[in-house]
Amino acid sequence: MKRLPDSRGRLEFHLGENERLLFEHLLRLYPVVPPAHQQITRGPTLLDAAAEQKLLDEALAEQRQQSRKRIEILLQDLARLKSAGNGSRLSLPPADLEWLLQVLNDIRVGSWVRLGSPDRKFENLPPGHLQHLWAMEGAGFFQMALLESLTTPSENL
Amino acid sequence: MGRIILRAIPARPPALRDLDNRPRFSYVPAVAETATPELLPDVTEREQDKPKSGLEPGYLVICWNDPVNYMDYVTHVFQVVFGWPRQKAEFHMRQVHEQGKSVLARESLERAEHYVHQLQKYTLHATMERDA
Repeated sequence: MKRLPDSRGRLEFHLGENERLLFEHLLRLYPVVPPAHQQITRGPTLLDAAAEQKLLDEALAEQRQQSRKRIEILLQDLARLKSAGNGSRLSLPPADLEWLLQVLNDIRVGSWVRLGSPDRKFENLPPGHLQHLWAMEGAGFFQMALLESLTTPSENL
Repeated sequence: MGRIILRAIPARPPALRDLDNRPRFSYVPAVAETATPELLPDVTEREQDKPKSGLEPGYLVICWNDPVNYMDYVTHVFQVVFGWPRQKAEFHMRQVHEQGKSVLARESLERAEHYVHQLQKYTLHATMERDA
C-alpha cells in the first residue's frame, strides 16, 4: 500500500493486486467484534449500569450498520478504480480515514477475540483459527499504513 | 517535517503489550522533541466540564491495557477523541502500557459517557467508573 500525492483534497493510495484482494476480503469480514464484548464499566460503581450499557450497545449497533453500508460503497469504488493489472487506487476524503481506522481495528480486535484473546503467544493454534490470526495481522498492516499517512505530508511524496 | 532516523523497532508495530518483541531495523519518522520535560496531569478537567454541584458525582474515563491495540493507534485515538497534543496522548498511552490503565478524564455523567462511546467506537478497552 503506497501513499500517492493527494488529489482534489482526497487521500490517495495505490494498492497492489494482492493488497487489493486482501483489503477487500478483510472489509467483507466486518463487523468482527462480538456485540457483547464491549462493556461500559468494569466495576459496580455506576448507578444504572444496565441503562448505560444499553446506550452503548445501541450506539455501537448503529455504527456497525452505517459502516457496513459505507464499506459496500468503498468496495464498489475500489472495483471502479481498478487499473488493468496494476492494482487499484484507494481514494478517501480525509474524514473517512478515521472511519476506516475504526473498521480495521474492529477486524483486528475482533479476530484477536476469536483467537481466544491470547496474552502474548500464538502457539498451538487449531487450523481453523489461522484465518483469525491472518485477519488480525492483515488489518494491522493497513492500519499502520493509514496512520503513517497522517504523518507524511502529501507534498513530500 | 521531522527527521528520518534509524532505530530498532519490533517486527510488527508495537501493541500496548507486545505480542512479539523480535527486533528489526526500519526507517521511522522521528517524533518531535521538546527541550525541557513537561509535567502532564493524569486527569484533565476543564472548568466548564466540572460536575455542576458538590452532590453530583464525577465519572472517570479509564482506558485499560490490552495486547492487541497498537501503541501508535492508541496515541492517535487519544489525540482525536480528546483533542490532545501528541505528547500528552503518548503520556497516557504509556501509562496504559506500563501501569495497566490510565484515567483519561473526570467528567460529568454525560460527558464521560460520550468519551467512552467514542473510544469504544475505535475498539479501545475504555470504561467509565463513578469517582469515589
